[in-house]
Amino acid sequence: MPESKVTLNLAISVGEVLLKSGGEIYRVQETVSRILEAYGIEDYHVFVITNGIFATVYEQREDAGSMVRYVPIGEVNLQRVAEINQLSREICEKKCSISEAFERLEQCRNSYSEGKLAMIFACGVGSAGFCYLLGGRPYDSMVSFFLGVFLEIFLILAANYHASRFLMNILGSALVTAGSLLLFAAGAGILSDKVVIGGIIPLVPGVALTTAIRDLFNGDYLSGSIRMIDALLTGMCIAIGVGGVIKIFQLMGGGAFLL
Amino acid sequence: MTDQILISMAATIAFAVLFHVPRSEYLLCGINGAVGWMVYLFCISKGTGTVLASIWAALVLTLIARILSAVRKMPSTVFLITGIFTLVPGSGIYYTSYYLIMNELEQCAAKGMETFKIAGAIVLGIIFGLMLPQSWFNRLGRVCSKK
Repeated sequence: MPESKVTLNLAISVGEVLLKSGGEIYRVQETVSRILEAYGIEDYHVFVITNGIFATVYEQREDAGSMVRYVPIGEVNLQRVAEINQLSREICEKKCSISEAFERLEQCRNSYSEGKLAMIFACGVGSAGFCYLLGGRPYDSMVSFFLGVFLEIFLILAANYHASRFLMNILGSALVTAGSLLLFAAGAGILSDKVVIGGIIPLVPGVALTTAIRDLFNGDYLSGSIRMIDALLTGMCIAIGVGGVIKIFQLMGGGAFLL
Repeated sequence: MTDQILISMAATIAFAVLFHVPRSEYLLCGINGAVGWMVYLFCISKGTGTVLASIWAALVLTLIARILSAVRKMPSTVFLITGIFTLVPGSGIYYTSYYLIMNELEQCAAKGMETFKIAGAIVLGIIFGLMLPQSWFNRLGRVCSKK
């Protein structure tokens, strides 16, 4: 393989990991371009959108190379974003040969991340915390903690079945609402609205919203719109899940469960 | 007040774990989230309403995230994404669908509008925060790394 292609492969693979882990478009574009430049490629074009990277080098020459990567929206992993950032900084300072860079990239792909138990616990703590911040009592946030734990377990199980994100959001928020209303109906004396709000916080599209704004701000209107629509639809899915369950309880209880 | 600070910090750190933030940055993420929430509460207590409070809080959060990112040599996304969760209108989504189901359409429309306004306010706050030139933050980072 000509060297230009090896370099292109490295740059675009780095970009792929970065994009998948939740990096902004301009960061990916900048990183890919800088890596290509650092290894002495002058004539290149890079185009990045939310779920794909396109790049060509030396279009007019014998050793021309072009690559396209499809990058589905993946799980946010900010540790990888930070590591890639560090890697690209070192490449730009010419401290890293191509083969070393490939090794580092492979390490980064398999880098340690928190285990499932820690994630489940964190989800519970997040739910409990927000329940309290938004006006719940300590007792309510305790209930919210358990709903958050169940929600994360559900999300992990659903991810194994490759469930669509719409379905996961609708069912996830429905699960939280149903749990809270069941406890309320059983006479647990909770403020069920605060408990539900705490419980659905892990589903709320904060990442999509933030990334959308940053993309739009940097002039990547197409990618920004994709993320914005993602945030909007996720919000709607949560509303559908919550509303649907409240409606079912209302019909079953004939108004006895009015909150 | 202390409980609000501690709990907003704990909740932000919980999200830092969920998004796989590097462990060394957990505490800073938590502080950023807590400061954002404090600004929000302060504005609310001064009677600004939720929308203006969200703008201010998002602005402060973004600036702190950029300062931290320069000092710690981390992408600013790390601090921004985790911090912003304290402001995202989760309760708005809940009450909008609740009033819709209860057929209280006036309340539903009001809550729905408020949710969109808060989301818009966060957008504005972040954009104002991003407008300051990066070179200022880079200089700050260089000053700090010299020490």
